[in-house]
Amino acid sequence: MTVTTQRVDSAVGSSSRPRRHRRRIQAPGLPWILPALVLSAGLIYYCIGYTGFLSTLNWDGASPDPESIGLKNYTNLVNDPVFWKAIWHTVSFFIVTFVLQTAIGVVFAVIMHSRIRLAVVYKVIIFVPVVLAPAIMAPVFRQIFAADGQLNWVLGHIGLGFLEQPWIGQDSTALPVIMAITIWQWTGLTFVLYYAAMSQIDPSLLEAARIDGAGNIRTLTAIIWPSLRGTTLALGILSAIGALKTFDVPWLVTIAGPNNSTQFLGTYIYQMTIQLAHVGYGAALSIVLLVIALAMAIVLQVTGRERTGGR
Amino acid sequence: MFEVRSWWSKGLLQLVATLLVLPYLFPLIAMVQGSFAGDGWGNYRDVLQVPGFFRFFLNSAIISAGVIVLVYAVTMLAAYGFAKLHIRFREVYFWMLLACLTLPEVVLLTPLFTTTQAVGLSNTYWAVILPLAALQVPFAVLLTRNFINGLPDEMFEAARVDGATSMRGFLYLVIPLTRPIAAAVLIFTLIGAWNDYLMPLVFLQSQEMQTITLVPQFFVGEFSNDQTKILASAVLTAIPEIVAYLCLQGMFERGLSAGAIK
Repeated sequence: MTVTTQRVDSAVGSSSRPRRHRRRIQAPGLPWILPALVLSAGLIYYCIGYTGFLSTLNWDGASPDPESIGLKNYTNLVNDPVFWKAIWHTVSFFIVTFVLQTAIGVVFAVIMHSRIRLAVVYKVIIFVPVVLAPAIMAPVFRQIFAADGQLNWVLGHIGLGFLEQPWIGQDSTALPVIMAITIWQWTGLTFVLYYAAMSQIDPSLLEAARIDGAGNIRTLTAIIWPSLRGTTLALGILSAIGALKTFDVPWLVTIAGPNNSTQFLGTYIYQMTIQLAHVGYGAALSIVLLVIALAMAIVLQVTGRERTGGR
Repeated sequence: MFEVRSWWSKGLLQLVATLLVLPYLFPLIAMVQGSFAGDGWGNYRDVLQVPGFFRFFLNSAIISAGVIVLVYAVTMLAAYGFAKLHIRFREVYFWMLLACLTLPEVVLLTPLFTTTQAVGLSNTYWAVILPLAALQVPFAVLLTRNFINGLPDEMFEAARVDGATSMRGFLYLVIPLTRPIAAAVLIFTLIGAWNDYLMPLVFLQSQEMQTITLVPQFFVGEFSNDQTKILASAVLTAIPEIVAYLCLQGMFERGLSAGAIK
């Protein structure tokens, strides 16, 4: 992961390198990049432009001549409590999932690096969720967290019966359930990346720390954790982008409810555009989401650059 | 990392690992256990007897294959162009692609929907393949370009001096040498396409076109919300993914790690 962010930077920064004479004998390359540009940039920018236009309309998606209302969709949006709810959910979702995934991922990677039996089995169990489609697992989680589901059954049988509750049926626990499912799904990836990063730590450094009398916990906090900074930063950006893109899990497990308590930008756009046919308003929401995502992309590039510059 | 010498600290570490992994195992067990509730194997028999059940797998395979071929082709061409050929304003084009890296797919819904209807592509595989490929290409190009940048310029020059065109350089140098990175691109494109839910949901209306991610909601209708059968169908759709992962563990882990920072 560290390597990846650096590579992002080196690729982008290569233009500033002094041009050498050998460039003159290079063949023209524009035709080579055209297919990718047309497919990707072409399609995506066309859609963005189109969405920008739609966001100035009051349109139900079907009527032949929609009414142009300027920026009214955007002013409505600022005054829409559900929009702010979705933003708040995205932020808290990002913080909780990122912190817990990082904690579990690091601890797990450290344990797997210490000699332990059945390491492969543990690794497979924690990584399998990464390859499973959230859409396929959604009915399973609906069942697990239902009032008569397996979670309550387990709680009842281990003497925690007082914790039993309708997990996805009430406002207070629906969002934590969505977070838990996301953590379940992505910890495997966090673990694999930390595991790889830890293999890069110089063993003599760890040995020196031990000779100086550092215990296991001290080694973890003073040596291992600081050397994982690059991976943590990259994973932070990844989680933030993932939080912005969240759709499948809240849509399929809780249908963004109850009472919008698991509403995210993605689900809100889908509801507005497809279900309620407020296409113009959905487009305005899309543009706002896009601006936030783009800001994230810029942060990604800038932090990548700063980190390489500091070396 | 941790130094564990005594038997009790070894045991403690093993215990902590087991406790940590249990919540991850729990949903998988609940899925299998739930799928056998009631009729036992009968649930699986009923699911497998639904006409057109394998059609979902076939559709997912067709769409994933289409996305992979498309992404691989345009990515290799573009990465070679960006890395080794002369392009004016090269970095401008590159940034145009990179800006699409963080794009959430939900943003594309309305324009794609009206456009596919207008040009008659709605309810075809293309309506899903094209946007999915478009969303995967920027990162694939970024990754592959960095990889090709690492190949020595001298090699390409030598080929040129020997009279090779850039096409031959591409076919005989780039394609064979980029295999490791191509494997990573293949894996994260496959997972991205195979697991995608939103695009098939919106663009594939008729049932014989739909993908495996739409199976649960199909069975909600088919078995009037009989959870045990829905879970049986979830197990059946999860099996190919788990088997593929178990067979190619290293490739999946590397590929998804490389594809992670999107």
